[in-house]
Amino acid sequence: MTIPAFDLLKPGSVAEASEMLLEHGDEARPIAGGTTLVILMKQRALRFSHLVDLQSIPGLERITDNDDGLSIGALATHRSVERSPLVQRRAPALAQAFSHVGNVRIRETASVGGNLAHADYRLDPPPALLVHGAEVVLAGAEGTRVVALKDFYRGMYETVLEPGEILVEVRVPHAAPAARTVYSRFSSLSANDWPCIGVAALLSLDNGNVGELALGLSGVAEAPLLAAGLERFQGESCSEELWDAVCDVVDEQLSPVSDLRGSADYKREMTRVWVRRTLRELAS
Amino acid sequence: MADYSIVGRPVDRRDAVQKVTGRVLHVGNMEPAGLLHVAVLRSPHPHARIVRIDKSRAEAAPGVAAVLTGADIAAMPGITPYHGPAFADQPVLAIDRVRHEGEQVVAVAAESRRAAEEALELVEVEYEPLPVVLDVLDAIKPDAPIVHDEIRPSGAFADLAHVKAGERSNICYHYKLRKGDVDKAFAEADRIFEDVFTAPPAQHVPMEAHVSLAYVDEGGRINIHTASQSPSFVRGELARMLGVPMNRIRVRVPYLGGGYGAKLYNKLEPIVALLAMKTGRPVKYSLSREEEFQTVTKHGVVVKLKTAVKGSAMTARKCEVYWDTGAFAEIGPRIVHKSGYTSSGPYKIPNVSIDSYCVYTNKPPAGPFRGFGVPQVIWAYDSQMDIVARGLGADPVEFRLEHALEEGDLFVTGTPIHACGLKEAVRRAADAVGWDQPKAPASGSKRRGKGIACGVKAVLTPSISGAIVILNADGSANVLSSTVEMGQGSESLLAQIAAEELGMPFDRVHVVQPDTDVTPYDTISAGSRSTYHMGNAVRMAAAKVKEELFQAVAGKLEIDAADLESRDGRVFVRGAEERGMTVTEAFLAKFGSLGTTMVGEGLCQPVVTPMDPETGMSEKCTEYWFASASAVEVEVDTETGRLEVLQFHAAGDAGTAINPKYCEQQLVGAATMHLGLTLFEQMVFQDGQLLNGSLLDYQIASIKDVPAACHPIVVEVPHKDGPFGAKGIGETGALTVAAAVANALEDAVGVRVRDIPLTAERIHEALKAARKVNGGT
Ligand SMILES: Cc1cc2nc3c(=O)[nH]c(=O)nc-3n(C[C@H](O)[C@H](O)[C@H](O)COP(=O)(O)OP(=O)(O)OC[C@H]3O[C@@H](n4cnc5c(N)ncnc54)[C@H](O)[C@@H]3O)c2cc1C
Repeated sequence: MTIPAFDLLKPGSVAEASEMLLEHGDEARPIAGGTTLVILMKQRALRFSHLVDLQSIPGLERITDNDDGLSIGALATHRSVERSPLVQRRAPALAQAFSHVGNVRIRETASVGGNLAHADYRLDPPPALLVHGAEVVLAGAEGTRVVALKDFYRGMYETVLEPGEILVEVRVPHAAPAARTVYSRFSSLSANDWPCIGVAALLSLDNGNVGELALGLSGVAEAPLLAAGLERFQGESCSEELWDAVCDVVDEQLSPVSDLRGSADYKREMTRVWVRRTLRELAS
Repeated sequence: MADYSIVGRPVDRRDAVQKVTGRVLHVGNMEPAGLLHVAVLRSPHPHARIVRIDKSRAEAAPGVAAVLTGADIAAMPGITPYHGPAFADQPVLAIDRVRHEGEQVVAVAAESRRAAEEALELVEVEYEPLPVVLDVLDAIKPDAPIVHDEIRPSGAFADLAHVKAGERSNICYHYKLRKGDVDKAFAEADRIFEDVFTAPPAQHVPMEAHVSLAYVDEGGRINIHTASQSPSFVRGELARMLGVPMNRIRVRVPYLGGGYGAKLYNKLEPIVALLAMKTGRPVKYSLSREEEFQTVTKHGVVVKLKTAVKGSAMTARKCEVYWDTGAFAEIGPRIVHKSGYTSSGPYKIPNVSIDSYCVYTNKPPAGPFRGFGVPQVIWAYDSQMDIVARGLGADPVEFRLEHALEEGDLFVTGTPIHACGLKEAVRRAADAVGWDQPKAPASGSKRRGKGIACGVKAVLTPSISGAIVILNADGSANVLSSTVEMGQGSESLLAQIAAEELGMPFDRVHVVQPDTDVTPYDTISAGSRSTYHMGNAVRMAAAKVKEELFQAVAGKLEIDAADLESRDGRVFVRGAEERGMTVTEAFLAKFGSLGTTMVGEGLCQPVVTPMDPETGMSEKCTEYWFASASAVEVEVDTETGRLEVLQFHAAGDAGTAINPKYCEQQLVGAATMHLGLTLFEQMVFQDGQLLNGSLLDYQIASIKDVPAACHPIVVEVPHKDGPFGAKGIGETGALTVAAAVANALEDAVGVRVRDIPLTAERIHEALKAARKVNGGT
């Protein structure tokens, strides 16, 4: 199918982009890499008369290291995150997660902001960002606000973005020096497929006991999920029993949907398998 | 091996450089001036009556040149609106009723693809939904909704003329074989094994989607450029539909970007031809990937097998095969017949009964798919061979070798086996995978296992290939053949055969691409038949030219032509190379001029003895057999069910490998393709709607799924009538993959899965069920 005709608007700044979006209301959408949006428009599942090209705004693609964390511009491509020495050093699980997305052509084009704003429930990068306690910076006509990524999602393909608001930056706080992170993706069909589920974990050990613990999950709820209530395991000693207990807590928070990549039950079971494997790996 | 100059050498493909540098002209690249683009409105319902179509707003839309409905076509004088290779059951555009989701209903030709698509949104179609039948076993129940009330015979193929549809039934074809006394053997059996295997509908996914272009030339002839595996068929069928002589239609086929059976018979050609006639302008129709899913599929099957064993011998087998042919028969009946008669396997079993049914459902039509149905039946019978062998405590390789038919044995149909190579393929595949070596130890949750499977396919017979070889006065030659180069290497291979026979250098032979104005009839480029059939035709044609050439030289040298030989473009006396001449000199000797050609024609037309309709017996049911064996090692993650193939050995009998490299590529390519079908490919339907009709959700094997060790094994058992002993090998690697992997799965973790694809979740479920039975958790 061909894409229906539209006007491509080229804002010079975030404020201008926001104005354009507000002016055209439901008829307009921001476009970043276009890897998702173009497919949906070609399928005529979505229709917009105006697309606001975020790539024409200078400076939104930078990745920098600040004192307290990484700042990743919303227009940074997946490939640039995956290959950034900064990210690889500061947040290896994040580099890993981005490296799994689709194929190299997609990663060269797709943007970090597009991945998050799309709010699909089974994407690779969100779990890794969630365990780092990432925040997103949203800029709109009313000014700028900072929202924790875990609060950014409202449901399937839904976010808290208000009309005219643009995701401009992702802030990834540095993990404590003792913390280790890892991202495991499980594909149930082709090895190259979207994940059936994805599990990111952050764990620091204190004399062999659990210090900080965070688990980010995708594919197992309407939106990417940061497991709650894991503080209770602080100070416990690492063991298979402990991992089972963690899995029980996580399991209560899941609400998987059955899809082509697995039934809801299977996803639940696989979450258990991969949470345990991931924690084992980090504790070893 | 005989002393050949070019046969048997791994020469590079003619099209390789052009293809990797992106300079090949495909139909999709053709943009004649004034070109119109087609978009087609498709049915949202799997089964419905068309109450009303209003196309007036679409006709008035900007850029629209023509809007066509099924009723419009039916009203055109002299036009037959239905087509199909087995039955004329498929309307070019739906008439009165739609029978599957995605069936073509209204076609628009417009100045651009976008204008055509936008006009479609202005077409109003009112449907009245009808009861839907999706499951092949539901479709044969007496009260099932009937997909076709009336079935029109097709005149397309003489060997299918006997095919008659059942009345008010979804079974449109039934093949039957009866040999020995099956009931008695079951009554006397020590053990009986009974299993049901299934395989789902799936996609071919050639890189190039279907595309056809038509225009009416100054002389009023209809010209078609099309991505088709069967140009001769397209011409004949179009002539019949349009009511014009065959020579009023010209069909040309450039290089194809893959076919795998998806591009056989008529697909888009009738629509573009009719729209070109209606508008007087060139018209192109190219499918999107999503439309591919609605156009043609691989047959889903349910295979019921029951095997009797007495002592260590298999004494009887009963096969019931139900083929889901979708809403239109396509070539289903032929697949049901040809694959049906091999469904008890290439084994010594004295009593056999086979019933193979072609069944309509409200799914997209199923057609040929690399292997022509044989991968589905081997999936079943060679899974069961393993079950039986394990049940008897026999080694699966030894058990197969003990029961395998060999040279001179009668196949279940009563046809003697010749040049089959089955046992050698099994032995070599087993050796390659290290069958006799101990199993790799378990590691964590991972378990390894090995599996083997084998089987045979019988080449489609009868079929016809014609070829013409033209020798030019400078010693270069043109080969006219309608075999389509779709990636398999036929162009270079036919050049090798012509060069060898003529004694000319390989690079002096040009193979003309299919053009029905000049290249002779060929049944299809499919079914692993071209090397043998077209190869023989080309060889015969070249031999005739050579005879004329030798006569010319013999006359001049005043010797017997039988004493001549040719090599590297020179003809000389055997044993006295200095006595001879070049082709040019021979032309001068014969014609006194260079302005002429020597032309030879060849025809390969193997025949069969028709099968007895009640018993399925025939002294000759096929021209040749090709044997396949796969041996794999897999690793299964017992916690997730995910199976990874670690090494893969694809063995196949090529007769003689005219070009060993192409044979190896075909074996590995076919095996890789079927690895995806084995592990995760399937079209998933819900209430008749396809849920994964795009490549975002329908998975084919990616480079990450292909084992690092993927080895071809080319077995060579020359066929007495093959060109230089050669047979086909394009499907061989595909045939035995699924069963080999399922057999390895059982070897690794002790569970048997009888449904492909062997997805992680399916294996996980089977493991859980086994643990429950064994009293675990
Ligand atoms: C073939 C293929 C394979 C894929 N495989 C995977 C995979 O394995 N794993 C995985 O995780 N993902 C996968 N994806 C999804 C991929 O991650 C997304 O397509 C990509 O991240 C979207 O980024 P984009 O910049 O192209 O977004 P766009 O397509 O440009 O936009 C996506 C959506 O976000 C909105 N948007 C974009 N940027 C902003 C912004 N800054 N502020 C507000 N709204 C914005 C757009 O309006 C649109 O609604 C795959 C996609 C494809 C096409």
